[in-house]
Amino acid sequence: MNLPNLILADFLPLLPAIIMVVAASVLLLSEVFLSATASRGYQAVLTVVAAAASGAVAVGLMFEPPREVFLGFGVLDPFSSFLTLVVSVGLGLAALSAVGFLRKRGAERGEFYALMLFASAGMSLLAMSSEFITIFINIEVLSIATYALTAYLRRGTRPSEAGFKYFILGAFSSAVLLYGTALLYGATGTTKLNDMVGPLQQALSTNPALVYVGAVLIAAGFAFKVAAVPFHMWTPDVYEGAPTPVTALMSAGVKAAAFASLVRVFLTVGKGMDPKLPLMLFATLALLTMVAGNLMAIPQRNVKRMLAYSSIAHAGYLLLGVAALFVTAPGEHFRVLAASSLSGGTPLDVARSDALRGILYYLLAYTFSAAGAFAMVSALERREDEEKGTAWDLERFAGLAQRRPGWAFAMAAFMLSLGGIPPTVGFMSKLLIFQAAIDVGLVGLTIVAVLSSAAGAYYYLRVVVYMFMHPVPEGAQPLERNWGTEAALVISTVAVVLLGILPGHVTDWLAQAGTLFGQ
Amino acid sequence: MVPITYYLLLAAALFCMGMFGVLVRTNALVVFMCVELMLNAVNLTFLAFARMHGALGGGPNAVFGVGHVSAFFVIAVAAAEAAIGLAIVIAVFRSRGSVNVDDIRTMKH
Repeated sequence: MNLPNLILADFLPLLPAIIMVVAASVLLLSEVFLSATASRGYQAVLTVVAAAASGAVAVGLMFEPPREVFLGFGVLDPFSSFLTLVVSVGLGLAALSAVGFLRKRGAERGEFYALMLFASAGMSLLAMSSEFITIFINIEVLSIATYALTAYLRRGTRPSEAGFKYFILGAFSSAVLLYGTALLYGATGTTKLNDMVGPLQQALSTNPALVYVGAVLIAAGFAFKVAAVPFHMWTPDVYEGAPTPVTALMSAGVKAAAFASLVRVFLTVGKGMDPKLPLMLFATLALLTMVAGNLMAIPQRNVKRMLAYSSIAHAGYLLLGVAALFVTAPGEHFRVLAASSLSGGTPLDVARSDALRGILYYLLAYTFSAAGAFAMVSALERREDEEKGTAWDLERFAGLAQRRPGWAFAMAAFMLSLGGIPPTVGFMSKLLIFQAAIDVGLVGLTIVAVLSSAAGAYYYLRVVVYMFMHPVPEGAQPLERNWGTEAALVISTVAVVLLGILPGHVTDWLAQAGTLFGQ
Repeated sequence: MVPITYYLLLAAALFCMGMFGVLVRTNALVVFMCVELMLNAVNLTFLAFARMHGALGGGPNAVFGVGHVSAFFVIAVAAAEAAIGLAIVIAVFRSRGSVNVDDIRTMKH
């Protein structure tokens, strides 16, 4: 037997995921000893503590030197650690907004939080996976937990319908991705990204069809996961039917982890290929996703569904950042950013690290804004309205500024941030991505992005108008307060405003993380 | 010996059949079976390529290559997916008394 020689330092990068899995196991086991009526308040607290702990460890890991772990099956770099931080933030906010949501429905159980923790552990590991089978398994770890969470509320027809759609399309896309993986394995004889670069060049000259078909299938699989048009059909239904805290986790964590893996895979697979091909692929996806996502969101009166379409639109802006990574021959308007170039490097390296920085900052910004907005939605909805489909109607927001000024202010901040209006984090993050895209010469695409985000402002500001300028509807139900929801609102509002006004520290640091992308 | 290409073509055909089935069949259980068919087509591809590459990457005396091991992982994951998938199909059946995909669309706007 020749066992791999693992050292303890190999396990350090896994610490955030280990914390989450241990907390999940504690929740599952403690549930066994509880009677049906026992108080379960500790469960959300434990989840939030685990999220905070793994987030703190992730911050610490960012300062570790980038290196391969587990014989090249994973990579520890600032990129993956930052993604773990984003996932922990999403998990914490989703768990906080789940407290009131589950209590109102009498569905407070340890399994719910345990599944959230398992899903987040999968996301954290996916961000650092650099081997195709590991990537596939982590995608499945996070997906299977999210399928179960989507169908968690068994009463009513919507959750099971959403769970079913999510499951079928999720399993379908995993199979497509896996088939692409198998073809790349066939072409190169390895599944490790780092070992793949050399054989890939060789395979491109001897057997290009295998490589290209494999890469396209992998791209299609990821496009399903990040909800890029035309692979977005499941998103609105699943986001609407899933319990709102789960939707928050999906829009924040699942998307962030899938983007991380997409970037990691294609920065390797794209090497040696004609660079125009990945550029064309991602530019087309970005164009379709931005335009279609925003256009489809405009007629929505259902705020939860509107946020689902908005998450598609945001995937489009992120794909613009991904496309910017694959520009190799920049135009004349290529600008060297002296301020953000830390280690010098060619202008192209600088631009690429700017694009990576934009993607990472955007994911953090979107996590705070979207998780906050979904927490607000979950605070306003009532179970009785769900079957009628009016639980998330714009009318629910009418006159909120008079009834709960604090909530209305928080929601206004999230909407401005999602719309990309200063002084919020959403504006800063859009600025970073668009700037990176212009720097590498994707001017036309960036103009489309700016125009479509201007169109997006319409449906975000409509919510604000309803909250501040419409009268309170007759016979409005009293609004219940809950510590969890309010904590989530306060945290995300503070983050959205603060990161929008003072982005300096984070972006400076991220510029470094971008250059340190371990390859 | 049967050439590797034949196995790959068979796997591709199975994969396309599964993909086609997911897109057009209406019975939820059949759709689910088609997903499994796709995963097994992937397994066959992995194994065919593993045969082609030999036990590469598994050390000097290894019998199994990466492709063989991959197939085992896929089987395990497919089993986990089946467990959750069937549970969801049962939840759908309980709430509407049907597993027809065409009936599962209350959320169209």
